[in-house]
Amino acid sequence: MNIREKIEQANQEVMKIMLEGQPTWVDVQPAGDVIPNMQKNMILYAGPVIAADQIVKPVRVAISGAAVHDGLAKDMQEAWQKVLAGEIVIDSGQNYGCACGAAMAVSASMPVIVVRDTLTGACGFCTPHPGGKREVLRWGYYDDTIEADLCWFRDVFCPALGAAVRHQGGINLKEILARTAGMGDENHTRQPASSMACNMLLISALTEVDVPQRDEVIRVLAANDRFFLHIMMAGVQSCTMAMKQVPYSTVLAGLGGNGVELGIQVSGMGNQWFTAPAPKILGMFINPTWTEDDILGFLGDSCVTEVYGLGGFSAIAGPAYVLMTGGTFEEARRRSDCARSLSLGEHRFAPVPWDEGKGLPVGIDVRRVVALNKTPISHGGSTLKDGGQGGSGCAVLPMEMFKGALAALGQKAMEDNAE
Amino acid sequence: MKTDTKKLQELFDAKELVVVNVGVSAFGEAIQKQGAQVIQVDWKPMAGGDDEMLKLLEMMGM
Repeated sequence: MNIREKIEQANQEVMKIMLEGQPTWVDVQPAGDVIPNMQKNMILYAGPVIAADQIVKPVRVAISGAAVHDGLAKDMQEAWQKVLAGEIVIDSGQNYGCACGAAMAVSASMPVIVVRDTLTGACGFCTPHPGGKREVLRWGYYDDTIEADLCWFRDVFCPALGAAVRHQGGINLKEILARTAGMGDENHTRQPASSMACNMLLISALTEVDVPQRDEVIRVLAANDRFFLHIMMAGVQSCTMAMKQVPYSTVLAGLGGNGVELGIQVSGMGNQWFTAPAPKILGMFINPTWTEDDILGFLGDSCVTEVYGLGGFSAIAGPAYVLMTGGTFEEARRRSDCARSLSLGEHRFAPVPWDEGKGLPVGIDVRRVVALNKTPISHGGSTLKDGGQGGSGCAVLPMEMFKGALAALGQKAMEDNAE
Repeated sequence: MKTDTKKLQELFDAKELVVVNVGVSAFGEAIQKQGAQVIQVDWKPMAGGDDEMLKLLEMMGM
């Protein structure tokens, strides 16, 4: 086979995972017990690999807080010194199949959602969404109150979730997305319908299992309309971990920002990142006195939902979010059409009623991005330089990342075929 | 081949002028403002004319 034929075959294999995979939430377990190669002294963060001394403040706080939470250091200062000295190992979460929302840092003791793609058997991971509190580790804060919340999550909330989802026999994420099609979620920055559909199953199961503080667990769960986001992020990782094992494929398999750089991964290049200076997520600010100068560049892994065809790539499915962040209905349609023109396939399980019943575009081909000279748009929440959410909006993905990926894919293909 | 100006003139003299504008939309918009019907075709040079990328795309099947 020549290079073109190998690419076509590889992309068919990857698209089979994307389109026919069945990401299913099966458990909640400590990260160190279930994430392959996760070490006790390791902490994972969002976006591409970055040198410790370049890490932005909210992520530095989250990493240090996670280290103290796990007993790797006695205080924040010692934690950061150990990170700089390499005694505490830090790495990109997506390299382990673990997506980190916003500034989140994941340590070995933290429970993670385990989603298994029953097609390939590959697993993806993400900590459960912490809820609507402004000051959480996920947004780069850490203090005694947050430590107490982390302990309650570890000791009460997450074991209860695990018991419920096991009792339920697993929750198929595609079924949640299909059941809530046409309810206005684009499933990155807006997912009240998916969260409710998922929580209906969980709350029902919680009434049938014996767990401590059940009423409080249900109260926290039912109050969080963002809850499904982190389940979906784990679901996407369950697909991309298998996709990244397919040489030659030119399909997007990872996307995330560390606040300094935004990066992509492509299936045929495994865990290699292709980066560009992180664009800012612009749209609206939570506090109208804040400006672009107050926020960091793109930070977080929640945009892995875009890799699965959600969020900005399916903006038309959630036009209310686009309007809320300063766009229009037609702009929502343009974002989806743009992603559609760059994609190799379409999820048919969640058609959009007000978009002629079209499905969700999936499988961005870096060749198409470069050839058509246009990049898709991701939705996202912005992070303030000192921590906390600044606002919500969107960012055009930089072309530089896609050109870098294409050049590396081409180089590798030539080397492999010269052998 | 010599341009058939007569045929061109017939096009411009048609009762309803329909212009197909390829690429930069501003040209089409200018004609639209003068009352003609314009069909916009979005087109950009492949890979923005980047030679290195064009060679890769040729090798990789685009």
